[in-house]
Amino acid sequence: MMEETLRQALAAFIAKETGAAEARISEAKLLTGGAVQENWKVQVDITGGAYAGVLDAVIRTDSASGGVAVSHNRAEEYALLKAAFAAGVTVPEPLWLCADKAVIGRPFFVMLCIAGTAAGHLLVKDARYGGDRVQLAERLGMELARIHSIRPPRPDLAFLEWYEEAPALHSVGRFRRYLDSHAIPHPALEWGLRWLERNAPPRGDIVLSHRDFRTGNYMVDENGLTGILDWEFAGWSDPLEDIGWFCAKCWRFGAKGREAGGIGEREDFYRGYEKISGRRLDRQLVHYWEVMAHAAWAIIAIQQAERHVSGEETSLMLALTGHIAPELEYEILTMTEPV
Amino acid sequence: MRDQPTGDQLLATARDLLREDVLPTLSGSQRHNALMIANAMSIAMRQLQSGDEPERRELAALGKILPLPESHGLALQQALTEANRALCRLIREGRADSGQTRDQVRALLLETTRQRVAISNPKYLG
Repeated sequence: MMEETLRQALAAFIAKETGAAEARISEAKLLTGGAVQENWKVQVDITGGAYAGVLDAVIRTDSASGGVAVSHNRAEEYALLKAAFAAGVTVPEPLWLCADKAVIGRPFFVMLCIAGTAAGHLLVKDARYGGDRVQLAERLGMELARIHSIRPPRPDLAFLEWYEEAPALHSVGRFRRYLDSHAIPHPALEWGLRWLERNAPPRGDIVLSHRDFRTGNYMVDENGLTGILDWEFAGWSDPLEDIGWFCAKCWRFGAKGREAGGIGEREDFYRGYEKISGRRLDRQLVHYWEVMAHAAWAIIAIQQAERHVSGEETSLMLALTGHIAPELEYEILTMTEPV
Repeated sequence: MRDQPTGDQLLATARDLLREDVLPTLSGSQRHNALMIANAMSIAMRQLQSGDEPERRELAALGKILPLPESHGLALQQALTEANRALCRLIREGRADSGQTRDQVRALLLETTRQRVAISNPKYLG
């Protein structure tokens, strides 16, 4: 249940933003409440102004605790969504940001609600979701190319970390610093990081990388894609980082034969990307970034487990995530061996 | 002497009851929770069953590659942590990039990692 004070504060905010005579929240449902943030799905009855009628929207708030240190806050996520929307990426349209903590006690923004499901294991198993799979894979490639059309410098995205190194080496450095701070050594992961260091591609084009572009983080209905979600890890990087993350075996939800995110064929995905970007993807280099994807996911898995082990957030989900690390490390050992 | 049934036997029996009798009565997020619980019990069960034999073997194998720290008197876990830290340094410094050391290190990593997967998610190994 959404508390009455919260309900009224949100309604008043929306009325002010849209120039409405009145706004009333007729329905509110908590979608996810977690360490990172709370999401509310709301229906707003608006009288007068630019959005007169019924508005289906999602409210995304910062978490009370401040969330995960590496993820962007809501104001930053709003700026990323704005940039993506302007670049023609299919995202829930961002409507209004409220950075003023006085309104509901923490920053939030309002975006249009999109329909569908994002659950990776459903998409992979059940062909009713996502429409034609050749089209879906191609479409996702096109979407990613549009994301990558966002290039620095971007004053609106000035909060994104800037660095001069090759993106691959930058990641290797970040992962090593984390491992050095961790109580348990991970020599197989070190083996992977050494391989990634020795084979690192030089710095080339730098683009906005979504950094979590994978099955599970986009929404589909029975006709196809309805929106790309989860922008909180976006940053400047090599365009192939997202390609490798999307295609990596660890993000196929068990459908290992369908190499584009467990939902389609690589070449369909690549074709969509190449069509929009006008650049040919280096197939050989994608393999490098798939090794990087396994290393990055292994680091995240270790971090998630640490949140549980340290007592910061007791959760069986986080605890079990730590037990994914061994298979990722095993995969890294296999992938870094010449065939 | 510990009383029977042992911890791993208790976990196996409890997990089977959860899977066979409780799980079918659940749906939605409670079903998902029960599956996670069964998975956690399986990992704990396999860890208990394997004992510390794999870790003793791991330490012995590490000793063939590295001079082991003064591990006499150190608890097994502590000795393993120190030896693996040394292995991490060796890899990072490029001392396992080529030659015999490379082959030895890779063989050790493959064996120990396979062992860890066998505890965490044996299905992955097929």
